[in-house]
Amino acid sequence: MKINCFTVLKIVLLFLLWPMISVAQESNDPIVVGANIGNVPWEFQNTDGTFIGFEIDLVNEIGKRLNRPVNIINVPFNGLFAAVQSGRIDIAMSSIGITDKRLESVAFTQPFYDSDQSLTVVRGSGITSLEDLRGQIVAADTGSTGDIWATANQEKYGFAEIRRYEGLAPAMLDVVIGRVKGYISDIPALQYYTKDKPNLEVVERIPTGGRYALMLGKNSAILNDVNDTISILKEEGFVNQLHLKWYGTLAEESTSTARVVPMPTTSDGLIFNFVETFLNMDVFLQTYPMLIDGLFTTIQLGILAIVAGLILGLILALLKLYAHKAVRIIVKAYIDVFRSIPLLVLLIIIFYALPFVGISLSPFYAAAVALTVVSGAYTAEIFRAGIEAIPKGQFEASEALGLSYKDMMVDVILPQAIKVVIPPLTNNCINVIKDTALASVVAMPDLLKQATQAQAVAANPTPLIAAAVIYLAFLLPLVLWVSGLEKKFKAGDTQ
Amino acid sequence: MSTLIKLETVNKHYGNFRALTDIDLEIAEGEVVCVIGPSGSGKSTMIRCINLLEEYDKSGTIKVENVKVEKGRNLKKVRADVGMVFQNFNLFPHLSILDNVMLSPIKSKGLSKEKAKKVAVDLLTKVGIAEQADKFPAQLSGGQQQRVAIARALAMEPKALLFDEPTSALDPEMVGEVLDVIKNLAASGVTMIVVTHEMGFARQVADRVIFMDAGQIVEQGSPNEIFDNPKEERTRNFLKAVLNH
Repeated sequence: MKINCFTVLKIVLLFLLWPMISVAQESNDPIVVGANIGNVPWEFQNTDGTFIGFEIDLVNEIGKRLNRPVNIINVPFNGLFAAVQSGRIDIAMSSIGITDKRLESVAFTQPFYDSDQSLTVVRGSGITSLEDLRGQIVAADTGSTGDIWATANQEKYGFAEIRRYEGLAPAMLDVVIGRVKGYISDIPALQYYTKDKPNLEVVERIPTGGRYALMLGKNSAILNDVNDTISILKEEGFVNQLHLKWYGTLAEESTSTARVVPMPTTSDGLIFNFVETFLNMDVFLQTYPMLIDGLFTTIQLGILAIVAGLILGLILALLKLYAHKAVRIIVKAYIDVFRSIPLLVLLIIIFYALPFVGISLSPFYAAAVALTVVSGAYTAEIFRAGIEAIPKGQFEASEALGLSYKDMMVDVILPQAIKVVIPPLTNNCINVIKDTALASVVAMPDLLKQATQAQAVAANPTPLIAAAVIYLAFLLPLVLWVSGLEKKFKAGDTQ
Repeated sequence: MSTLIKLETVNKHYGNFRALTDIDLEIAEGEVVCVIGPSGSGKSTMIRCINLLEEYDKSGTIKVENVKVEKGRNLKKVRADVGMVFQNFNLFPHLSILDNVMLSPIKSKGLSKEKAKKVAVDLLTKVGIAEQADKFPAQLSGGQQQRVAIARALAMEPKALLFDEPTSALDPEMVGEVLDVIKNLAASGVTMIVVTHEMGFARQVADRVIFMDAGQIVEQGSPNEIFDNPKEERTRNFLKAVLNH
């Protein structure tokens, strides 16, 4: 099997660029809006699944005024940046704060909400301020304003670690479990979220002077229309009525919720182009150290899971072949179950569910356990097939020579089986390394997680492209090596 | 001469199929016994029971040097006492010729590497293949491989050797070299049971010939008795079929 990586790259780029090269939209095409659904009270779902919230009401009204239907789709927070830049969505919203850095790559309408960050903890946990978090682990959403603030202030407050989540729900789950001591995020969302949860408490306002706005692509044709509509809606008092509806009070007259303010602009009006967006050298150089950190974590996790999975798999294979019947049935069940269960599901169970029975693993070890358990099941089948491929005569000759079971396995069977199993084992190793990327859902700073964080902070998808190149750089040689081995072993069958 | 191997009412079933029926057999020390008979008559099954590569029915008994052949602690001693040479050689393809022969002295007998190597080189010389010691099995002809397999079996210094159709997988021109090695062993007084289709060989080296059919020992006696004056109809039919062509 020969992979032409250039062809693959072309297809990927075509896929990314498709929305941009498609024909200009007609005026009554829907405005596609991406939102990180679950971000209360801005955009979330009511019990029948309808999207509701402050920003949902706002964009629906804007659509109405512009005479365009609005189509809202659910996009994770850190995916919004690439989506808006590639034109996959027209507008991104999720209480996105305006930053200079983001303005280099995207455009914002005028802000409509002045916000700060906040610290949320479990009530009665003894933590009442940021000072209490010295040496503790804190949570934030990947690439959010809270993440940016926490990263900038990590040294000042002595946070042991910033653990990065894909939204409020999983972060709060870990706060409740106690794996992290506090969650740094937008104050309005957390005030709203903790309103009916007496075990949680917003203990500190972190003044960051954040201003929320709708985010659009730099070359967006509707940016001015949308911004003008927001001005009209503010003058009519509609926006402040939304504040009343969702927060129970009107915003003060001086805030951007109540009055029209200018649209933020960058000093230099960068014009959208492909290279600036996907292959931005400045962004790459800035985020490169983060990616290397992530790569290191990925490799550590991969090697640990591969080695542990090999040992587990060998033991399971020998048990399945030669143990007492009852043990064989159990081993078979183990192998079947863990080859059927999606790794992501297993990982989430291990990380979020096991703490309720008293087993609380760090993201790294949760990921290592999940990967090992699954890799062990696959490895066991590979070893079993390898051992079964050894002719019966080899076993009989060993027995007739009076070799013990151990000597037979170590000196005769396994050395021959290894040759058979090396190609499939290497394939399995490649899969394990790729699967480490799933660990980003349990807030582990692997290569993918670092890349998504970097792209959200820089509001530029270059780190993702860089991560893809890094994955390729060390997996492609392995893939080619396996292909070579398979060819060689096939040729050497006659030996 | 004392009895080395003793089979008493040995039966063997594969499910409902009876592969061996009431086998009684005694092999004396130093005796060379050839077992002949049609395919599927149970010849191989019988000798494979002697070192428990096949399990036999509980009702019977096999003893080697008065030690019962059964699973458990005794089995190691039995297998050290009884060497086996297979139809398909079953050399270990990942080990050199020398390592193939050295493996069991080191692992089963606990010999040092140096001693095992000396034993192996001597045996390879005996079977005429010492100059190939560093090659791998795949680099040797079938006849050479089988001679290595014989050396490997001898390396445990067994009291008896079992040969399971040792020349059946060989090209005709290589049969001779293997039979010559076995003949030399026979002359040196090694106890042997040889399952074979080589009638000329059996007549020449056997002290006793056993004819089996349908899982039973039909007839046994000296080569002259069996080949020249067979008493049983089935023996006569078999010999007529194999000799007249």
